[in-house]
Amino acid sequence: MVEYIFYALSVICIACALLVVFSKNPIHSVLYLILAFFAIAGHYVLLNAQFLAVVHIIVYAGAIMVLFLFVIMLLNLNAETEPHKNMLTKIMATVSGGLLLVTLVGSFRAAGQVEMVNLDNSNIGTIENLGKVLFNDFLLPFEISSVLFLSAMIGAVILGKKQLS
Amino acid sequence: MKSIVLLSLLGVTSMFAGVFNYRKLILPIILIGIAAAIGLFVDQWGMNKSFYQMAFFDNYAIAFSCLLLSVSFLIFTLALYHYRKEGDIVTDLYALFIFALTGGLLMTSFSNLVMLFLGIEILSIPLYVLAGSRRADLASNEAALKYFLMGAFATGFLLFGIALVYGASGTFDLAGIAAYVKAGKDIPDFFYVGIVLLIVALLFKVSAAPFHFWAPDVYQGSPVLVTTFMSTVVKIAAFAAFLRLFNYCFTPLASYYEIILTAAAVATLLIGNVTALYQQSVKRMLAYSGISHAGYLLIALVVMGASATSVVFFYSAAYAAASLVAFAVLTAVMENKEGRESFETFKGLAKNNPILALCMSVAMLSLAGIPPLAGFFGKYFLFATAIKDGYLWLVLVAIFNSLISLYYYLRVIINMYSSADDEVPAFTPNYALVLMLLLSLGANLALGFYPDLLMGLLG
Repeated sequence: MVEYIFYALSVICIACALLVVFSKNPIHSVLYLILAFFAIAGHYVLLNAQFLAVVHIIVYAGAIMVLFLFVIMLLNLNAETEPHKNMLTKIMATVSGGLLLVTLVGSFRAAGQVEMVNLDNSNIGTIENLGKVLFNDFLLPFEISSVLFLSAMIGAVILGKKQLS
Repeated sequence: MKSIVLLSLLGVTSMFAGVFNYRKLILPIILIGIAAAIGLFVDQWGMNKSFYQMAFFDNYAIAFSCLLLSVSFLIFTLALYHYRKEGDIVTDLYALFIFALTGGLLMTSFSNLVMLFLGIEILSIPLYVLAGSRRADLASNEAALKYFLMGAFATGFLLFGIALVYGASGTFDLAGIAAYVKAGKDIPDFFYVGIVLLIVALLFKVSAAPFHFWAPDVYQGSPVLVTTFMSTVVKIAAFAAFLRLFNYCFTPLASYYEIILTAAAVATLLIGNVTALYQQSVKRMLAYSGISHAGYLLIALVVMGASATSVVFFYSAAYAAASLVAFAVLTAVMENKEGRESFETFKGLAKNNPILALCMSVAMLSLAGIPPLAGFFGKYFLFATAIKDGYLWLVLVAIFNSLISLYYYLRVIINMYSSADDEVPAFTPNYALVLMLLLSLGANLALGFYPDLLMGLLG
């Protein structure tokens, strides 16, 4: 059963990812990307990482993709305004992408079979366990990340504030 | 840890300065706060305190933290001069500087890869904004965007590297990873890939070749105070993190990645020095000079070992002391000449303001490594350690590059002591600038005449 779901999700995910690249309309690309994110979230659920799945949907499919859509709509991007790329660029992009693929395939073949690690605790990804780890072992990074968010907020205010001259 | 909390609170205080109207007071408060943070660190010397196995304040961390704090102290003194005419946005900028500094302190004291990541991000994100803080200036905007995009890419590499290292060793803890490497039983190939990705990310942060392309544009476009911060605090923090991580965890595998670091060091030296030769802007020249100094420090990383830590510490202190003087003089000159920064701008400085010209000369000679200034001893200790460990050819490359660098450092001095084409307005002396120049010049000379002050500190 789980295996069938895995393959179904994988097919959806890869198909959507391809459609993201190939669709002419940028809005469609974004919508397909949201579908791909949902498929990946399904994989997380299969791995018993519910928290990650939920956060993935909220953050990526929710927040970031909405931002994407806003930007695309504000800039009014569509097939006509897309800058036309010449043949040379296309060839170079294909060659470099192909080289990257060859490198990746080669290194994966060379790496050989990776032994699966059997986790002692199959509930490791549940919210309860994650909370325990976050507030015990990783308490200090958790608290310190507040400095990170605070500085990001101040930064946004500085850049967005009306210029007084 | 107390000083990290203190600094975070200081940042918040600075943030509220605009709201509660104590803008005039904020810089003195910041300076006192940073001095107090140094005091708190010195108090912890030799106690090796660990916090939740996340941060470990050994002597290495304390020494580098104090160096970062002292450099920031001088930068804030310069801010007293540089921002004296600006409006209310400045207190927010100070808050960002302080938060970035907090990130730098975390990068020197992490004992867990999660903390390394957080430290690098807390250092970088305020800087992306600071680089673009002169919003009406196109170059500043370009700098911010370039830095942000490139930095986000580097963060991706860092995370990927951390993930692969975690995947192989099963732990984020430095001690755990070190034990895993030492045991050395069937380490999978992707662990090495992880190390290489970590090297890529950290080379980016120290602006070493071939990941240096962002540095000149970002350094030139940013406001000069931010450039000062980037070329001193950020660079030192990144090197401290680099050395801490690799010295602690990966030394048994040095034979695998040594070749990468050596190639990066040689490329950084050559590219930095040769490109600096034909720059027209002093600010950009200083950016390339910063790149080439990253090359010298990379040699210390190749050599590694316990002796490398004290060499890196001394070298970064000497480099920072000289850079601070150079940037302070540059700030003063640019302000007097409406933001121009070419070599010609420095013409007639010696006649107009001999003290400023003298300070700049000392800084340039120290950066070039002329005895008896601090920069000379930095290079001397570095080369001596490298030769002792059998890297003679690397030292020869470095010496060759020092000779090249003499050209562009002396070019500034020659320009200063030749007569100006047009009439130059007289400088108005400012106590903050004088204080800052005195302190950093003092550090330059003190490190030159008594190098043992810092050299023996880390054993």
